Amino acid sequence: MTAHPVPVSYQGHYAGSVSRFAAFAIDLAVSSGVFSLALAAISYGVHVVTGHSVSWNQASPVVAVLFVLWEFTYFGYSWAVSGRTFGMAALGIRVVGADGSVLEPRRGIVRALVFPLSFLLCGLGFLGILVQREHRALHDLIAGTAVVYAWDARAARLRFLARQPGLARSATPPNGLSE
Amino acid sequence: MNPRDRLRSAGRLLTDPAEALAQQVTERVVDLLLSALDVNELAARIDLNAMLRRVDINVILTKVDLNALLDQVDVNTFLSRVDMNAVVARVDVKPLLDRVDVNDLVARVDMDALVSRTDLGAVIARSSGGMGTEALDAVRSQAVGADQFVDRWVQRLLRRGRPAPSAPSALLPAQAEP
Repeated sequence: MTAHPVPVSYQGHYAGSVSRFAAFAIDLAVSSGVFSLALAAISYGVHVVTGHSVSWNQASPVVAVLFVLWEFTYFGYSWAVSGRTFGMAALGIRVVGADGSVLEPRRGIVRALVFPLSFLLCGLGFLGILVQREHRALHDLIAGTAVVYAWDARAARLRFLARQPGLARSATPPNGLSE
Repeated sequence: MNPRDRLRSAGRLLTDPAEALAQQVTERVVDLLLSALDVNELAARIDLNAMLRRVDINVILTKVDLNALLDQVDVNTFLSRVDMNAVVARVDVKPLLDRVDVNDLVARVDMDALVSRTDLGAVIARSSGGMGTEALDAVRSQAVGADQFVDRWVQRLLRRGRPAPSAPSALLPAQAEP
């Protein structure tokens, strides 16, 4: 009865560079968008209450500090609470302890604190995602974390098959759903 | 007539009635003995275990033609007499289930075939969201494919002999399951 290839779930496997970069790009877009919206909301609020218009200079140190604080809150809170940000949830990856255990909130915050280090070293900190055996970046190594796939490829394959009953026996599933 | 034969016939005249008499006496004695004996008490005195120890069951079994014996058994009649509900009620299912490796059982099921041949596919399709889920599955699948592509090239460039661990130690059993 098992003539078909066995669908492989990557749930629990170390996540690769493309998934992680895509998740980060989504997070950056979302957090920046929310930050801009918040600034616009504050400007509008100040205008309504005081009648003065406030314009935010993107190059201003105040805005930069606020942005950094917001980014730290966005990433730190997400990792500490659930081990995943919005982008990571979309890409089906999550942060776990180095041994695969559920991420402790403390480690999530430490990860957010040391995350900029990977940027500050000319991006070399991210090289670990490509070349390190466990795909761990510098901030992962410092915080004792790892990033793994958290989505169920088998369930996705079943959904894929379910959506096209006529093609179920012969269709090729989406890339990465089977080996 | 041979004098020896004559002697024999004379002897037979004496022995035949004696033999008949002896038989009658024996039967009577046995009857009296049996009526006097308490069979239950006698049976109680018999050491059945000692007796059974002396019996070589294997020898008996080798002489039994089990096929012939089974051919004579009407299984349907036998089963019709069995109260299956009573039998099932006496079965303790829990230890039985404890011995079943459900994960192994599920792993043997060809889910693809199951989904394609049954209404399960429609159920899954109805219960697992619509376009959003489909788009997410597609994006994630593409990302996993790209991850593997990049990883293969990096491993090739680095010329690593030993394969890298696929998952953290705590998640290794979980990945075998799906």
